[in-house]
Amino acid sequence: MALAPVVRDDFSAPFFEGTAAGKLLLRYSPSSGEWSEPAARFCSVTQADDLEWRESSGAGTLVSWTIKPGRTKDEVTTPDVVIGIVELAEGPWLSLWLPEVDQSALAIGAGVRVDFLRPEGSEHLPVARLS
Amino acid sequence: MSIDSPRTAIVGLGITEMGKVYGRSATDFAVEAITSAVADAGLSLSDVDGLYVNPGIKNDTDMRLQSTLGMRDTRVLATIQGFGSSAGQMVQYASLAIEAGMADVVVCVYADAPLKEGKRAGAAYPGQARAMVGVGSLPFAAGLKAAPERYAVGARRHMHAYGTTSEQFGAVAVAARQWAQLNPHAQMREPMTLEDHQASRMIADPLRLLDCCLVSNGAVAVVVTSAERAATLKQPPVHIWGWGQAHPGYVNRRDSEFGLVTGAAQSGPAALKMAGVGVEEIDIREIYDCFTYTTLVTLEDYGFCAKGEGGEFVASGAIAPGGTHPTNTGGGELSSYYMWGMTPLSEAVIQARGQAGERQVGKHDLVMVSGNGGVLDFHSTLILSPHPKGR
Repeated sequence: MALAPVVRDDFSAPFFEGTAAGKLLLRYSPSSGEWSEPAARFCSVTQADDLEWRESSGAGTLVSWTIKPGRTKDEVTTPDVVIGIVELAEGPWLSLWLPEVDQSALAIGAGVRVDFLRPEGSEHLPVARLS
Repeated sequence: MSIDSPRTAIVGLGITEMGKVYGRSATDFAVEAITSAVADAGLSLSDVDGLYVNPGIKNDTDMRLQSTLGMRDTRVLATIQGFGSSAGQMVQYASLAIEAGMADVVVCVYADAPLKEGKRAGAAYPGQARAMVGVGSLPFAAGLKAAPERYAVGARRHMHAYGTTSEQFGAVAVAARQWAQLNPHAQMREPMTLEDHQASRMIADPLRLLDCCLVSNGAVAVVVTSAERAATLKQPPVHIWGWGQAHPGYVNRRDSEFGLVTGAAQSGPAALKMAGVGVEEIDIREIYDCFTYTTLVTLEDYGFCAKGEGGEFVASGAIAPGGTHPTNTGGGELSSYYMWGMTPLSEAVIQARGQAGERQVGKHDLVMVSGNGGVLDFHSTLILSPHPKGR
């Protein structure tokens, strides 16, 4: 699996409680009505400090992507790794792995939905799949 | 309060041996570059009363160089870290210190030794090592680790928005190599064609190997002092006419300009305004070119062509030797050497002095220098001239 393991800290505990339950949580500012990425400490539009965790629809579109070619070493070839910037319907961007994606279907604006995978020794992590 | 007419100049330049030079530390390189720059200026180390140190990716040298150099009673001293914008920042802070009477002669140095014998260049920049803890680690965990893939997503946005092509990125690489062939100090001097670029292996689609800069061991130092003192020294002074910084603070959300517009769009006009000149008056461009795409988007943001027309501009031959807009005249970071912002700054000093030999650009009255750090996150600009401002 291309995903590297991530462990939680106090700040991210609610986020990873969410991913374990198949939910994507973002940061939401009641004062501005705007959504920010999960790592945000302040509202990405107003810099308000009233962010709270709120569930995202998990639906979005592809903003951009890159493909890191697979490598062959000791007669073992690793697959290409596709990483995309996904714009969620609520507005925030996430950089996510697109596992087993059909590369010919990659297109800016393509519909994406968030899924979750759990690398060994890791929390459940969000990934993206073309919808 | 603002400084409309800076009265400072770059009077010394020191460049060490570059590239695959092993067995020497960043501090070793820094000491050589500093002593070389001070001698170049016709000064001695005892004249230096200010020092700014920018360590590279290995972060293994710092302001304790003061002790290494035997400096005493230094009046301004700091380790500066603005990544690729550091060189421009250091010259700005040196100028401010001199203008304020805090120091008379300030040395700015970048030094790094990330290359190890027998290791690939890519291994020198593996991506920021960080504990994979918390939501801030998610992009890294997904595979967005090192600079090539992080710039690649920006480059693809530009390609999609403006129709920019890989061949146009290739034109930047080919132009840089053509300049490098005229530079005896460039690491990569063998001929390169657009076909070579297109055939080079993909590093992070859409960026190929020949879209990526070199990795170098070495150091570069410059000496900054007042224009008055500069007039008495050994080298032709390179006067500092203007400067700017801009750090966009991209937010990861809808409407982000990441990949499309960089800090150059603000720091460039700020520097030009301070210099009192228009972009059309610039004779030479020394652009931070960690990737071919970076050159292209920076030229757009500085206003050398319209936004979105950078691809056609570079493919026209404008930036190559003999072109209308000489750019990265030493070969840049793509083909000459990778000393972060000291690569464009060092070549700017050489060109402004008129000491570039075979690659010297005939009209070199105004040189624009960019610095770019992070993933288009941090930007600095300098406007340099062999002439004192306003005379």
